[in-house]
Amino acid sequence: MKHLQRFAIISTLATYFLIFVGGLVRVSGAGLGCPDWPKCFGRWIPPTNISQLPADMDPSMFNFTLAWIEYTNRLVGMTVGLLILTTAILALVHARNILKIWLPSVIAALLVAYQGWQGGQVVATELEPIVVSAHMGIALIIVTLLVYIAQQSYYVRHPKVEAKAEYPAKIKGWLIAVWITSIVQIVLGTQLRSTIEILSEGRPFAVDSSWVANLGIVNHTHQAIGVLLIGLGLHVGIKILLRSKNSTSLVFQSAIALVALMGLQAISAASLIMFGMPSIMRLVHLWIASGIIGVLLLLFSAVNQQRKFAK
Amino acid sequence: MSKNKTSSAIVIGMGVFVVMALIAMLVIFQAQRSKKVELDIYGQVPQFTFTERQNEPFGTDQMMGEINVVDFIFTRCQGACPVMATKMQRLYAEFSENPGVRLVSISVDPAHDTLEVLQQYAIDHGVTDQRWVFLHAPIEDVVTLSEKGFMLPADNLPMGHSSKFALVDAMGQIRGYYDSFDDTEVDQLIIDIKRLRGQ
Repeated sequence: MKHLQRFAIISTLATYFLIFVGGLVRVSGAGLGCPDWPKCFGRWIPPTNISQLPADMDPSMFNFTLAWIEYTNRLVGMTVGLLILTTAILALVHARNILKIWLPSVIAALLVAYQGWQGGQVVATELEPIVVSAHMGIALIIVTLLVYIAQQSYYVRHPKVEAKAEYPAKIKGWLIAVWITSIVQIVLGTQLRSTIEILSEGRPFAVDSSWVANLGIVNHTHQAIGVLLIGLGLHVGIKILLRSKNSTSLVFQSAIALVALMGLQAISAASLIMFGMPSIMRLVHLWIASGIIGVLLLLFSAVNQQRKFAK
Repeated sequence: MSKNKTSSAIVIGMGVFVVMALIAMLVIFQAQRSKKVELDIYGQVPQFTFTERQNEPFGTDQMMGEINVVDFIFTRCQGACPVMATKMQRLYAEFSENPGVRLVSISVDPAHDTLEVLQQYAIDHGVTDQRWVFLHAPIEDVVTLSEKGFMLPADNLPMGHSSKFALVDAMGQIRGYYDSFDDTEVDQLIIDIKRLRGQ
């Protein structure tokens, strides 16, 4: 069980790293850095100069930098896949009686395998927006499952860790509200991203703040909900920090993380608007959002665990 | 709960975050740079007419309408030139099906490199057509063209010639310089020639 918990934590961190790398592929425009899949220009290790290209491929398509950015995503993805597979095997061995651990582990392993294949579809469809968004959506589901597995295996080892804690009333409802709003926000954000890409087509260097004005209703909704969400998130985080008694360090740190991430998200949002959506901030913005999803789940499960002792 | 542990976790988290963001910025920057399809324009090649190995005039008039790779060499050279010639041979073979791509080697040692010598040099390098020409002109004109036209140093000739390849488009504009000793730059040159041809 200890190994399972450890592997689940490592898998979670690795998946967050992978989400970062995947986002980097997206914002650097390296999605088609390798025009084929799973190989890259017909090779398992991408070519380092054009003499290694297969004869039937157009050398002017080859961009060393983009090929390696895309390939790094595949390599990290493969590593994460193996980590999750190991987690699932450990779950089946050590937690076969605990449905809420082995089932999400098996689902995560199946999903990550699917995700690998789906990544091939991203390339095959030449970055069809809905397929790209699905790729990110699956990644978020996988990381959510992993956070859940890690936390539940921790509670199996330490069942009474939340026994003495007291958390604010109705906080579960608040957490669910923040979570649902966050999901809506992420969906709107991916919509916004597609719009930006359509607008930026053909003028890769025209980046200025006048863009933001042209993004229309989706943008206004995303901004309005964003303000609401940051307010809600800060409210919930601070409430947990101030109104809890004997909170565990997991909850305490998660609440701090929630407040910090909400604050950082406000800053990243402001810089997106002010500086005309620079790539790096889009990446950071998305990554913080995925972090918020994980932290919310940690808090929710912890309160849930504590409520078992409350009655 | 330990406040110390929490604050050190925050510091480590922030540090990791900053490092990742910096690396990401670098990667994004590199990616943008690598995608730059438009080649810079470094300048216009000034009007000149030299003599090619078969005693025909060759200059800007002949270069117009074609994509040209220009370098400065001399046949007695034992240093850079053999490497440069090898790379030129690679280009010569690469574009054997494309008469629109011309290689231009200009001698910086005209006193020795007579037309006969250039002729022999061309034959020795397997040159069978006018896709690769070898030019002869008075040394002052060569120095002027190298320094003023191509902005390439021409001190202590013949040894001091540049080992760079200059890419000149169909309008006589210089579009890039490539270190002939660096294979990845020669690769890039091939890609850029194909881009220019596609435009």
